[in-house]
Amino acid sequence: MSSKPDDQLMLDSGLSSETRTAPPPRTSVLFGFIAFAALIAAQVFSILTSPAEGDMGHLQKIMYVHVPAAWMAFISFFVVLAFSVRYLWQKRENDDLLAASAAEVGATFTGLTLMLGMIWGRPAWGVWWVWDARLTSTLVLFLIFVGYLALRAFVDDAEQRARWSAAVGAIGAINVPIVYMSVKWWRTLHQPPSSPATLDPAYTMGLRLNAIALLLVTIYFIRKRYEIARLERAVEHLAEAAAMGGK
Amino acid sequence: MAWEDDWRRVRAIAKKDLTTELRAKAGFNGVASLAVTILILLGLALGPDADALRNAAVGAVWLATLFSGVLAFNRSFQVELESGALEPLLLYPGPRWTIFAGKLLANFTFVSLMVAIVMAAGIVLFGITIPARWPMILAVVALGVVGLVVLGTFYASMASRSRAREVLLPLLLFPMLVPVLLAATTASKALLGADLMHEAGAWTRLLIGYDLVFLIATFIAFEHVIEA
Amino acid sequence: MEESNLKFIIAAYSVSWLVILGYLARLVRKGSRARADYDLMSQEIPGGGPQ
Repeated sequence: MSSKPDDQLMLDSGLSSETRTAPPPRTSVLFGFIAFAALIAAQVFSILTSPAEGDMGHLQKIMYVHVPAAWMAFISFFVVLAFSVRYLWQKRENDDLLAASAAEVGATFTGLTLMLGMIWGRPAWGVWWVWDARLTSTLVLFLIFVGYLALRAFVDDAEQRARWSAAVGAIGAINVPIVYMSVKWWRTLHQPPSSPATLDPAYTMGLRLNAIALLLVTIYFIRKRYEIARLERAVEHLAEAAAMGGK
Repeated sequence: MAWEDDWRRVRAIAKKDLTTELRAKAGFNGVASLAVTILILLGLALGPDADALRNAAVGAVWLATLFSGVLAFNRSFQVELESGALEPLLLYPGPRWTIFAGKLLANFTFVSLMVAIVMAAGIVLFGITIPARWPMILAVVALGVVGLVVLGTFYASMASRSRAREVLLPLLLFPMLVPVLLAATTASKALLGADLMHEAGAWTRLLIGYDLVFLIATFIAFEHVIEA
Repeated sequence: MEESNLKFIIAAYSVSWLVILGYLARLVRKGSRARADYDLMSQEIPGGGPQ
């Protein structure tokens, strides 16, 4: 445990004792309903209005979830990067909690992106997996998220956990474009590029609607996860206060 | 003057780490033996066809190095942890980056020695003919080792002080090493052959860029991470 | 060809909703537990949290 006096700790974390133990605002349930309703509406609309295509039939409809999920994974990833850097700069506990929340949501969407990529790839390419630049860098991104979350699980001291996660998050972020580039080179020098899943313009409207809807869901998820993180942290602060102020 | 003091501190830490490791019973000998053992197992798993082995050689050498390397990196912080020497080291006057630099030097020396042994074993076990361009291959390997050591030392400074350090270090480190693995293996394979597509140069430039980027990034981040 | 692709489309959307609803359920469960813990703690600690 740290040897600093309690007041110094509070000043360091940039928060008064009231804010550290104050309850975070409740995430709006209405917003959640709207987000999920939008997602259902977007999917129904896209599935019904997009045409069948060639001999793949309706297979491209998987893209309505696969592509937005990938975008959400990368957006979450940027949130982790931004708030990791901000935490290292200003040492505000809430920044660390937000980064961690975005990481958990990002990991979920990255995993979903990979699964959908495989489910699409099996009929489209005949195989469950190809080592192409996009799939492989998504897999590496997934592993980086997993490592970040594992680090948080294995470090008990809150301040150390925050600093280490922020450093790992920032450094991991730098690597993602480098991984993408290297896998791309690795592929193109040895084999003809696998035809990427480019979408017919007829699909763009549906894709945009799905992306917006999924973004609403993502924002809802991150806010709810952040609320939970703050509640759990507030409970820890209250417990510390009790331990120090009691008997 | 301050620069000379810093440099002296770096050398002191490097020397201390190296002598501790080289003297420790399970230190260098243990890790190097493990690396060669892994290489042998890879040979058994991927062989016995001579062509298959020759194709797999570069990858096998790098994997054996990676898996044994993680042991070395955790150990480089273990000494301070076990004797409780990390806090006094931090309290001692002097900039923190010197600790990182010292450990980097020690680990680089350690891993380079290990890689030399693994490569020698690989040449024998996997039937490699040494080409005329072998100095270039050594350069590629050296650049790869730099990347491995920089990130390995950085992540070990955290993993070694957490629970489940044996699992956490590879989990954090290996995804980060994907570009190094791809670049070093592809360039080496090209140089062992004819390098018809002149790709070794491009991959070498990638390695140099990668090493520079992460050298700078880890030095900056180390300050935040080393606090007890 | 098209019929077998239908299998994959259904699989894709099922997996997607399983993951999304599954994560939602996890958040809701964790959320109510966290709220309950917090309410309990802030009652026990006089002077903790806003009055």
